[in-house]
Amino acid sequence: MLDHTVSLVTFVPLVGAIVIAFLPRERPDLARATALVAALVAWLFSLGLLVGFLPTHPGFQAVEVADWIPAFGIQYKVGVDGLSVVLVVLTTTLTWISILASFGPIRERVKEYMVSFLILEVGMIGVFVALDLFLFYIFWEVVLVPMYLIIGIWGGANRIYATIKFVLYTLVGSLLMLVAILATAFAFQDAHGGQWAGAFDFEQLRTFAGTTGFANGLQLAAFLAFFLAFAIKVPMFPFHTWLPDAHVEAPTAGSVILAGILLKLGAYGFIRFAIPLFPDAAKTYAPAIIVLSLIALIYGAIVALVQPDLKKLVAYSSVSHMGFVTLGIFIFQQQGLYGAILQMVNHGLITGALFLLVGVVYERTHDRTIARMGGLSARTPVYAATFGFFMLASLGLPGLSGFVGEFLVLVGTFAYNPVVAGIATLTMIFAAGYLLWMYQRLFFGDLSEFLCGLGAHLTDIRPVETLTLVPLATLVVVFGLFPGLILHLVDGTVTSVLSGLQRATAINLFFWQ
Amino acid sequence: MSWQDVAIVGPLVGAILVAIAILLVDLVVPGRRGPALTVALLGLGLVAVLTALAGRTPGQAFGGAYTVDALTTFLDLLFISIVGLTIVFAPDYLEPRDLPIAEFAAVLVFALTGAMLIAASTDLLVLFLGLELMVLPGYLLAGFAKRDSLSTEGAIKYFLLGSFSSAIFLFGLAYVWGITGTTRVAEVAAELARVAAGGAALQPGLALGLAFMTTGVAFKIAAVPFHYWTPDAYQGSPTPITGYLSVGPKVGAFALILRLFVGALGPLRADWLDVIIVLAALTMTLGNLVALTQGNVKRMLAYSSIAHTGYMLVGLAAYAGGRQEGLQGLLYYGAAYTFMNLGAFAVVAALQHRPGVTSALETFAGLGRREPLLGILMTLFLLSLTGIPPTAGFFAKAYVILAAVQAGGALSVLAVIAVLNAAAAAFYYLRVVVYMFMREPVAETEPQRHSSLVWAGLWATTVLTIVLGLVPGPLLSVVTDAAKALTS
Repeated sequence: MLDHTVSLVTFVPLVGAIVIAFLPRERPDLARATALVAALVAWLFSLGLLVGFLPTHPGFQAVEVADWIPAFGIQYKVGVDGLSVVLVVLTTTLTWISILASFGPIRERVKEYMVSFLILEVGMIGVFVALDLFLFYIFWEVVLVPMYLIIGIWGGANRIYATIKFVLYTLVGSLLMLVAILATAFAFQDAHGGQWAGAFDFEQLRTFAGTTGFANGLQLAAFLAFFLAFAIKVPMFPFHTWLPDAHVEAPTAGSVILAGILLKLGAYGFIRFAIPLFPDAAKTYAPAIIVLSLIALIYGAIVALVQPDLKKLVAYSSVSHMGFVTLGIFIFQQQGLYGAILQMVNHGLITGALFLLVGVVYERTHDRTIARMGGLSARTPVYAATFGFFMLASLGLPGLSGFVGEFLVLVGTFAYNPVVAGIATLTMIFAAGYLLWMYQRLFFGDLSEFLCGLGAHLTDIRPVETLTLVPLATLVVVFGLFPGLILHLVDGTVTSVLSGLQRATAINLFFWQ
Repeated sequence: MSWQDVAIVGPLVGAILVAIAILLVDLVVPGRRGPALTVALLGLGLVAVLTALAGRTPGQAFGGAYTVDALTTFLDLLFISIVGLTIVFAPDYLEPRDLPIAEFAAVLVFALTGAMLIAASTDLLVLFLGLELMVLPGYLLAGFAKRDSLSTEGAIKYFLLGSFSSAIFLFGLAYVWGITGTTRVAEVAAELARVAAGGAALQPGLALGLAFMTTGVAFKIAAVPFHYWTPDAYQGSPTPITGYLSVGPKVGAFALILRLFVGALGPLRADWLDVIIVLAALTMTLGNLVALTQGNVKRMLAYSSIAHTGYMLVGLAAYAGGRQEGLQGLLYYGAAYTFMNLGAFAVVAALQHRPGVTSALETFAGLGRREPLLGILMTLFLLSLTGIPPTAGFFAKAYVILAAVQAGGALSVLAVIAVLNAAAAAFYYLRVVVYMFMREPVAETEPQRHSSLVWAGLWATTVLTIVLGLVPGPLLSVVTDAAKALTS
């Protein structure tokens, strides 16, 4: 079967970026239009991928293989399973929304901005579809550079500090992961009589991990390296400190993508690579990772409570929400994993929307200090209602998608350990606290002095802005009522991850051989 | 000497003739850049063709002192590209400063002959001869701007330390000759293999010889702690020459290491492994740490070139640890480093087109707005130097790290040190990007015009930087053959 859909989805944005590079500088409108068209085409292709996907079919679909560096058995191998499909569609959706949302705020160097954004999309989709570890690593790093530029060039006042911090954090993790990838491939090659064929092929490596298994020492070290790379991206406590800076300084669309997709790369890495390749090590480290997740949950929520800056508040709430994802993954339990995947999607939709909403108010006031706001609901009723909707989705109101993911994770966690589940549930109270309190300070009461001073500038939400939010709101409702739409797709992924773990046993950290 | 010998040394003789031809042309039509450059570039092209032709029939000349094999061909072609690119980049910089272009090109081609001699020599004395032939023009080049006190200072430092290290190296060579009784690489290796097979501790004489030779070579490649001459020599030299000095003599010295340490001293590799590991770790770490604090891009690139020496040494260490891939990685790294570093220096030189412009970070402020294309190309070179895919620098780094991981043991630790260093290096490389794209220019300066020669060179390095990262296959098989030729 010659199916190139996956490559098309991945590289259509690149074509768009190349076209934009040759457009005249004086015509930013052309660059904007081309970027939007490229993103929409990629989105349509990804929908095609979704429609053609067979949930009952085990393994990867639409696989494309071509030799790339035969001397090391490195291939261009891409393909999707349910998890990939869901995340690819999430990526393409959020990308065109972000590009649309950038039309107004980005007025300088539009051409470069759109090129960066489309290359960023290539990297993100590539990470989700790569089935060769070397290729995966390359896409993983490709994501880094455009984001560095987006924050550094189009960001806020303190953007340079934030962007360099972002790059250095991510790079330390990912370079160690590179060593681990090479060591893993070498171990595979060594076990196959020095033949490199398949040494970077994810499917063959996974089969090897499920049968012979990698040596304990390698597993412990390599998992740690993968963990570091992914934990920094998620970000898990205590590797999260780059996130608030990056979010606060990034332009609105940058924040949307950062929260919506980039954080998912880490969680995806755990589910796709770290756990299946090193199941014994995963079981060994799981308790520690669960503890870190709990800390992230509580800590993120408490810190969010006291943030004076609106964007920082949403950023810390991300730390907390992603804690649910890692918790759900590492309890190694069916509901937990389903919940984690659902939470990944929900967080992408809801937090993406919240950042868009923060962008709306920022564009009018050029300020994000919560204390200077107040009484917005009188002047901008539609905005207030929309914000309220996503705020409720974020705190987990039943009927909206945020609830289902968190609920499933908690159910799974309860089966794993009631105490852990109890602690995790506490977060939901904190979340209600910081979200409602924020909402109250922003929208209720009399119009604040600061906002009064803005006069006619303080307009309600505009049609273009609505256009970016409506699809997200629709999906939040749909997935809230019919979570099965996603769960059904990722059935195969969940089963395969959990069955790979069944034979695994935790390694005794003190007496491993 | 037979006709066959002449055919084998043909490319080398060709290079000497090119250098003489450049001088003659300059005598006939003095002071014009066109004719001299045409002769130089055409001549180099011809030498490259000759090299490729000679490489098709491997053989030895002069009783085994001069060898043409896959390694020689690869290194020769690399040297020719280095010299060719330098000649392409330099005129735009030299001309406004009234520095003679023809002499510059001739001196460079003379240095090329030295490097080519190193690449082909399988005799310790010829090796030394080649080394001196390569570095002597380097001293001249470092002091090329003779009215500039910094240039003169750098040249004197370079010359003094260079001579010292040559003497130390020669001293070590004498020990090895005294103990093995021969200067032919193959025979030295055979003799040392006998010594190593005995399993006894290294004789004091041999140990001394090894230590002296390592020290001498470490000076030449600017490995820490023998690197002190580098920043001054590099900063003082005219920028295109700095680019050459950071690549040419370094790759040349690595060629010497391959012929000497791998070819002749290979049997003793267990004895020099530890030294190389320590040298590599120190060189990477210190080079990067000091580069972090530099506010001048040229000086920063000088220190970062020290760090790159360290990464290449990781490949050598992996070889000593029993992995052929280490040599392949080292050779690949050499090629990748050549193009990305020459490209980066070419951009710095292009910015300094007008005399009086410094290479301080401020010069780069707002470049992305002033000359976007130059800014984008520089970003690409810097990303490659950092090791971000899909560039040549990434694949080269992955290759040496893979070899180190394969060798295992202490070398796995070295691999981790290498990647942590790469992360640290990102900070200072990306700082230049910050200045280019994220800061406003200090003073409004006009965009400058660069000659089409410079653009051609920049595009060549750009394409190679990308291709060696995206399609490493072809070069991979070349370096595999080269490494095989050396060890079989």
